[in-house]
Amino acid sequence: MLCALSVAACKPTSSTEPIKIGFIGPLTGDAAALGVDILHGIQIAVDDANATGGIDGRQIQIVAEDGRCTGADAASAAQKLINVDKVVAILGGQCSGETLAIAPIAEAAGVPIISAISSNPDVTEAGEFIFRVYPSDALKTVVMAKYFAVQGWDKVAILSTNADFSVGFRDALKADLPAGFIFDEVVDPTAKDFRTVLTRLTGQDFDVFVPNSHANAPMALMIEQFREQGLTQPMVSHDVADTLDVIAAAGDAAEGLQSINVPTIEADTDFGQDFITTHGQPQAGMFFAAFGYDAANVLLEAIRNMGDGPLRDAIAATDRHPGVVGPISFDENGDVVGVSYDLKEVQNGAYKTLRALPL
Amino acid sequence: MQLLLNGLIAGSLAALVAGGLALVYGVLGVFNLALGQIVLVGGYVTWWLYGVMGLPFVASIAGGIIAGGLVTWITFRLFVEPFYKRHRFLPIVTTIALSMILDGLILILFGESPKSIRLGGGIWHIAGARISVAQLGLILITILLLSVLAYTLHSTAIGRRIRAVVQHPHAVESFGVPAQRLHQLLFIMSGILASCGGIFLAIDQNLTPVLAFSITIKAYAAIIAGGKGNVWGAIVCAYAIALLEQAIVGIHWFNTFYVPAGFQGTVALAVIIIFLIIRPQGLFGSVARSA
Repeated sequence: MLCALSVAACKPTSSTEPIKIGFIGPLTGDAAALGVDILHGIQIAVDDANATGGIDGRQIQIVAEDGRCTGADAASAAQKLINVDKVVAILGGQCSGETLAIAPIAEAAGVPIISAISSNPDVTEAGEFIFRVYPSDALKTVVMAKYFAVQGWDKVAILSTNADFSVGFRDALKADLPAGFIFDEVVDPTAKDFRTVLTRLTGQDFDVFVPNSHANAPMALMIEQFREQGLTQPMVSHDVADTLDVIAAAGDAAEGLQSINVPTIEADTDFGQDFITTHGQPQAGMFFAAFGYDAANVLLEAIRNMGDGPLRDAIAATDRHPGVVGPISFDENGDVVGVSYDLKEVQNGAYKTLRALPL
Repeated sequence: MQLLLNGLIAGSLAALVAGGLALVYGVLGVFNLALGQIVLVGGYVTWWLYGVMGLPFVASIAGGIIAGGLVTWITFRLFVEPFYKRHRFLPIVTTIALSMILDGLILILFGESPKSIRLGGGIWHIAGARISVAQLGLILITILLLSVLAYTLHSTAIGRRIRAVVQHPHAVESFGVPAQRLHQLLFIMSGILASCGGIFLAIDQNLTPVLAFSITIKAYAAIIAGGKGNVWGAIVCAYAIALLEQAIVGIHWFNTFYVPAGFQGTVALAVIIIFLIIRPQGLFGSVARSA
């Protein structure tokens, strides 16, 4: 009777059972758009594998759970995937809060997890079974500081919103800059009027301005109101500024704005075309789907290569997997090696990738 | 000088909303905590008509104002009128509920990404300070609009009638003044001013679904500081608070330090609290009156 209820647990691992892999990511709530894009990217990788006969004659099955971008939901999702569905690995979480919450659970159960987009520096130390294909935020400020040094910009002005992401970025960048900041103001995260704070910059001697907001709307206004003061210094920002929303809202002021972020995946690439044919336009951005696709392929390749050894070791042994976002390997902490940062610049109202920035 | 202009820009926006709120809360004595959302309705509808539907700018503004007025009218009929005569605090609850509904609707209809209206036009240099033509226009139109409103209410026969309605609705009805209609008119006027504020916001800054509540709070601060029931007071104080906010972060105090920008709002509100301890009836309020 019990066997009839839970088939998977009772049958010996036969060669025809599908291989189950779990997914945890935000499928409802504020971050749902990116979670759906990632899941669609994963789906493409799995469908490709299944179309060519699966792995050792077994089909791959995704069991998707909603992590809602919160630790609590992700943790119960992980318990379910590991204890009820008996997945071999989990692709997730996606929000850093999800990943950090499920890490100890996966670690205890010995189930490896690969996150597509978690960027929080704490994920580095999250455990032996925790991998990610997205670079840690800690690297981004290192890259930015190096870029400033190469350009000879040592007087750096920064305006940050008072939110976890932007304050974390500011603190990390401050630590990486030999001379620190010469102008360092933190504004309320709901503020829309930065004119007077920026007016103070008109009397200062500085080389580069870093608009550092956690959200689109203040970011666009920082860019716009900075230029409105007649200031002509270059502006360099990060992920938040690297969206069409921001440059559309900031208009002419965004011209020449530079951003340092992971590579853009254009819609006219092979992967982009594949995605649009199968799932239509991405909801949050094509690169989310690309990172999901790469995370899934890294996992599938490891399952193919694992033989009788543990899956975790096969993932760790990943060697320059030819991903959409770059050649993927892992360091001893499970952090990705090989995904670089690009320097992008707004030219005629659209971002153009100038070059990759070395670490 | 730049400080003064920045203050005038921020103050004009605050004064539009505060002027409208002064009519509802100050004159009528009714709370409307969904006013910030009506600001957004006016702004978003104008953006939609102008930016998406491609209507001429003036027609879009008219559309935005009509939409804002309409939502305010519905607010009055459904969320305020059935309740405020039973207890004047009841609309606090009903309009908070409405504000949540409107927040959700705005998010569904217009999405999360920032929306703005840009008119172009050059930058003028006035005494070493920079201001765009659009900003100058916004400041002048706001001051004109609010002056006409405050003058009408405080210095004309119609204004006297409106204030009489508020003081004693039953007594004035026996004189043949339609009290109910005037209440409704006041309420809709506040919505129209709020919509103008939203259009201002779309032109000068940008619209996002989350900023409504902070707009409402600032307007209440201006009214309380200005003295309840005095529209002039609310307008003057909205400008004063905005200037204060700019001065706090913009001035190099005693040539030694700047106040960190994060304290901008806090310090301004703290100054109001201290001011009210000294003068509880507000800047222009008289001691004896209570509405």
